[in-house]
Amino acid sequence: MTTQTFDVAGMNCTACVMHIEGIEDEIQGIESIDVNFKKQRMVVEYDESKVTEEEISRAVKLAGYTATNRKDA
Amino acid sequence: MTNLAVVFFTGLTTGGLSCLAVQGGLLASSVANQAQDDLSAGATNTDPHGSPSASHVALPIVLFLASKLVAYTILGLLLGWLGSALALTPQVRALVQIAIGIFMLGTALRLLNVHPIFRYFNIEPPKKITRYIRRKSKHSDGQFVTPIFLGALTVLIPCGITTAMMALAIGSGSPIAGALIMAAFIIGTSPAFFGLAYFATKLGEKMHEKFLKVAGAVILVLGLFAIESGLNLAGSPVSFTAFVQTLASQRAASQVAANQASIPVTGEAASPASSPAAGGAQQPASSDTLNMTATSQAYSPQVIQAKAGQAYKLVIDSKDNRGCGRSVVIPALNLQTTLAENGQSVIDLPAQKPGTMRITCIMGMYNSRIQFN
Repeated sequence: MTTQTFDVAGMNCTACVMHIEGIEDEIQGIESIDVNFKKQRMVVEYDESKVTEEEISRAVKLAGYTATNRKDA
Repeated sequence: MTNLAVVFFTGLTTGGLSCLAVQGGLLASSVANQAQDDLSAGATNTDPHGSPSASHVALPIVLFLASKLVAYTILGLLLGWLGSALALTPQVRALVQIAIGIFMLGTALRLLNVHPIFRYFNIEPPKKITRYIRRKSKHSDGQFVTPIFLGALTVLIPCGITTAMMALAIGSGSPIAGALIMAAFIIGTSPAFFGLAYFATKLGEKMHEKFLKVAGAVILVLGLFAIESGLNLAGSPVSFTAFVQTLASQRAASQVAANQASIPVTGEAASPASSPAAGGAQQPASSDTLNMTATSQAYSPQVIQAKAGQAYKLVIDSKDNRGCGRSVVIPALNLQTTLAENGQSVIDLPAQKPGTMRITCIMGMYNSRIQFN
């Protein structure tokens, strides 16, 4: 299990938090997504044998936001 | 009382679309699941792109919205009751009103994305609750119970504008007014939610960004209005109403001066007559009586002239005076009293030093003042 922190751009309110956190139910391999609206970040716990960092970023992008891994920033 | 038409219109326009983003997903999921169950078709688990038929869609939506309306009305009732319990005195009420206004301003500036610090003006429900509701909406197999259940649960995940309305309900200081505010708002948001069933969540998302700006502007105005009411109620000399009253007073004074200059001085004819039309200002009707009129629209005149160092009887003539205008507050005297709906009420005013005495309704919306010279 891997834990990664992403900066998330484009969040306006609680709606966005719920929207992004909903991804954890849609992509296999994601254990949990914890979004912090105030810091505009999310912490994702996932099984890297089932899902990649790129797939997570793509899912967030599809939801209408931009996720950048903090280690890449 | 807060103008319910404005609250309804806020729900109808900005509220509906912005709250769709928070709560619409639940409704969409619920409807999608319903259609999936009924049609055994491949609807997705988040958006009802499978275009379920109207008959399959309408009933769960109606149940969802009815349940939501009942839940929020009860919430409004409780918040109004909380407001009435908090607002024991006009001073406390003024503080609550100002705090609500500041919260609304912060919410507006957050929506307008002015600065990251305004993100703190966001009420986030606990993760456990949002996760529970989200999963419940996707995995429940109750045909009609689910929409009712989810509709009621939306009280736990209010959107930004809803929280602003909740603040207004607290500020109303009345369970009935609080319930009416929340009910008017939720009824206003309902068409947008109903439309969701046919246009799905994507439309809301596309328009969401633009409408957030409009929502921010609306809440900004409501917030300023709440602060203004609080300042009036506190008897603050710094408020928009005080500024307008000062202008009216100055205009009246200059008009009186102009009249005196144009009319030859012949004994008592030179004394300024009662002239409510003169910028909303009025001179005392008799040596020891000051007159004011209270209707359900306003207090008039805006400025009453009086002599310092003299006691007066303030006669307030109520004409069809309903709503918050019936409860009048004079902060300088720490006085709060209820006026008749129709007829006269008399308040004894002790002698005052030169200055201004503010008169306002319990909500700080209707205002007048006595200028002691």
